[in-house]
Amino acid sequence: MITLSASILAYLFFPGGMFAIIFGLLLLGMERIAVARFQGRIGPPIFQNLFDVIKLRTKEFLVPEDATNRLMFIIAPFFGFGGMMTAIFILPVSGVYDGAGASSDLVVLIYLMALPAVSHIFGGSSSGSTYAAIAVSREAILMFAYEITFVIVLFTVALQAGAGDGALFSLKGIVDYQVRNGSFVHDLKMIPAFVAFVIFMLATLEVPPFHIAENDGDVMKGYYMEYSGMPLAVFELTHALKLLVLITVLQIFFMPGLAGGSIVVNLLWYMMKSAAIVIGIALVHASMPSFRVDQAFKFLMIVPVFLALLSLGLVLFL
Amino acid sequence: MLSRYAVKSPWLFRINTGSCNGCDVELATTALIPRYDVERLGCKYTGSPKHADIVLVTGPITARSESYLIRMLDEIPEPRVVVAIGICPISGGVYRDSYSIRGPLDKFVEVDVNVSGCPIRPQSILDGVAQAIGIWKEKIKIFHKA
Ligand code: SF4
Repeated sequence: MITLSASILAYLFFPGGMFAIIFGLLLLGMERIAVARFQGRIGPPIFQNLFDVIKLRTKEFLVPEDATNRLMFIIAPFFGFGGMMTAIFILPVSGVYDGAGASSDLVVLIYLMALPAVSHIFGGSSSGSTYAAIAVSREAILMFAYEITFVIVLFTVALQAGAGDGALFSLKGIVDYQVRNGSFVHDLKMIPAFVAFVIFMLATLEVPPFHIAENDGDVMKGYYMEYSGMPLAVFELTHALKLLVLITVLQIFFMPGLAGGSIVVNLLWYMMKSAAIVIGIALVHASMPSFRVDQAFKFLMIVPVFLALLSLGLVLFL
Repeated sequence: MLSRYAVKSPWLFRINTGSCNGCDVELATTALIPRYDVERLGCKYTGSPKHADIVLVTGPITARSESYLIRMLDEIPEPRVVVAIGICPISGGVYRDSYSIRGPLDKFVEVDVNVSGCPIRPQSILDGVAQAIGIWKEKIKIFHKA
């Protein structure tokens, strides 16, 4: 009974739920400020994305007349949202929270990570808009390319954490291993996998140069094109959670080092690391032009996959 | 309560109804150059009319663009604010009395703010947007009472 209510608390308030949504939205706001500063502008207030979500609550929701599947159009945003809520619930935060504690949660993570893209594809393709159709085909192509990298990196990390006797598919186990033996980001063998994972992260978050499926300049808003009001707000929340999930996964895989013994210190350390990663993302965002979809596909199939395989080879044979 | 925070995030949408492009250039520069950075006010240009809160209409509404304008305005969810940018949509401006003009804008929709000038100055755009935000706040309140 106690563990059940603790899980519900973790799912709804901390570190999932409320905390994750607000922290994720703040990180998005921070990214916008950082991009503005790199471009010599002042930028929006840090709470901007929170205001956006509140604003969208006050707007009307319109369902297009020529939507091919109205029901799917309305429920599509919630797949991604649910997936990300669950993902943040199963992810451990080193020194603060142990995760949901399933023994092979790494495998669950592969499926959960794909859900936001799935909800974009469902929502976009049922909206009946041409822009959304183009965006959906691009998203599907990209997804095909970057998921390969993710799976290879994940397997590499699992093997390395298994330390010789098979792969370790438990997130908590990976964190513990690194707390005992030093973070993987210090390990030369794992550096290529780290770079590959960062590229995967940029591609999933669709920051430039992988800003292909929702590029304002050529497909307008892509799959969000026909959404307004509440469902659009759900997409915003999903995006915030996705950013937080990816950052947390990056920290679990490569840098789960502890800052001290107490929970508060570790939580602050986790938040500081997240902020630093977001500023890194903003630097790439502000300085890159956009790929064409075929260029992005070629790049994603060659560079990160090669780097990830290199790490896998090093881990397997050294 | 909500309206107080909601007005901090006005999303702008531009409709060009056959303008000479002078006003559109001015609109682009207000958002894109550091000096008049409107992202400070939370503004953001959106690509889709369904995300828009404040609609900026430029141009004298030519016969060709009339039907698109009407359709576009229909797609913008309430509560919304319509701003006429430049002298063209207000009165026809230099194109007034031309055979191909169907304007002014207030024949089609209730215009909330008129920002005049030919072309408009960036400062007056900012002023117009600020006024539009004030009107929008009242509209949100009314919309949620109804
Ligand atoms: S108001 Fe003047 S500058 Fe603006 S679109 Fe009309 S003619 Fe061009």
